[in-house]
Amino acid sequence: MVLQVNDLSDVVQATILPEEASLSNADMFKEEMITLIAGGTKLIILSFENVNYIDSSFLGSLVVALKYAMPRKVDIYLVALKPDVKNLLTLIRMDKVFKIFKDYKQAMETIN
Amino acid sequence: MKEESGKINIAFKCDREEIPGIVNLCLDHIRKETHVKPVGMLTLAKLKWIITELLTNAVKHSGMNECMLTFEHDTEQLVLEKEDTGKPLMLFENNSGQVITWPLPPLAEPLEFQIYHNGTDSLRVRSTEPDCAAFFVEQLDDVEMPGLLIDTSEHFGLLIMTKASDEFTYTYDPILKINRFRSTIYLNSNEHEA
Repeated sequence: MVLQVNDLSDVVQATILPEEASLSNADMFKEEMITLIAGGTKLIILSFENVNYIDSSFLGSLVVALKYAMPRKVDIYLVALKPDVKNLLTLIRMDKVFKIFKDYKQAMETIN
Repeated sequence: MKEESGKINIAFKCDREEIPGIVNLCLDHIRKETHVKPVGMLTLAKLKWIITELLTNAVKHSGMNECMLTFEHDTEQLVLEKEDTGKPLMLFENNSGQVITWPLPPLAEPLEFQIYHNGTDSLRVRSTEPDCAAFFVEQLDDVEMPGLLIDTSEHFGLLIMTKASDEFTYTYDPILKINRFRSTIYLNSNEHEA
């Protein structure tokens, strides 16, 4: 299991558990995200609070999840990114396609 | 691991589970080697991304059980190199879908094409010699629909290595049948960072 999930009706808070978000767990992450999206939620808030290390394979799975979510009208927000992780997302312009917030609280405030 | 002044060689077993450990081993060595004039946090982050992607590339694409990672530095630059005897570089030309494989046939003129774009960055490769390739990024005018969501994600690793490096190149040794990916970071160009 890669994600710890807290289902709040139309919103799912999902925390990535491993410190290393990488080739080793990218496929499992993708499958868990697709299951969440298919489950009928409107918004997934994905927390990177535990993630110290991320690679292109995991980022690829994140984009696959977003591509699956968009036609189903499901949003994915990213929260609690550590500087290295956020800088890498910015480097390859992924900050342009995801909404990024400081933490769950700030992300939840945008929908209330 | 083989260590000498200013240089480290690490044999990597192309096991994805070993990648974080090798990355940390390299970064510890780099911190130790550069303690007199420490490199900035951003440069360390770039090195971490590059090492990670070089090793991930070896696991996903080399088809081999082992590759060699080398790090060396002097006062002006940091150089990471990955060597393997696996399959030579193969890329899809983004617009035509044509497969290009190195070493190239003799070139009458330089070969250059786009590998991938995300709407803002165009990842390109240029070869002036049949055995060599240099990767670089050109800025595009931003498009409304991010290309990131149109194109496949298979080139994230190559894009990361190219953007994190000041120079990122590939060479193929046709005699020894060795592939070499080389990333160079110039310390002077990164001096402004904290």
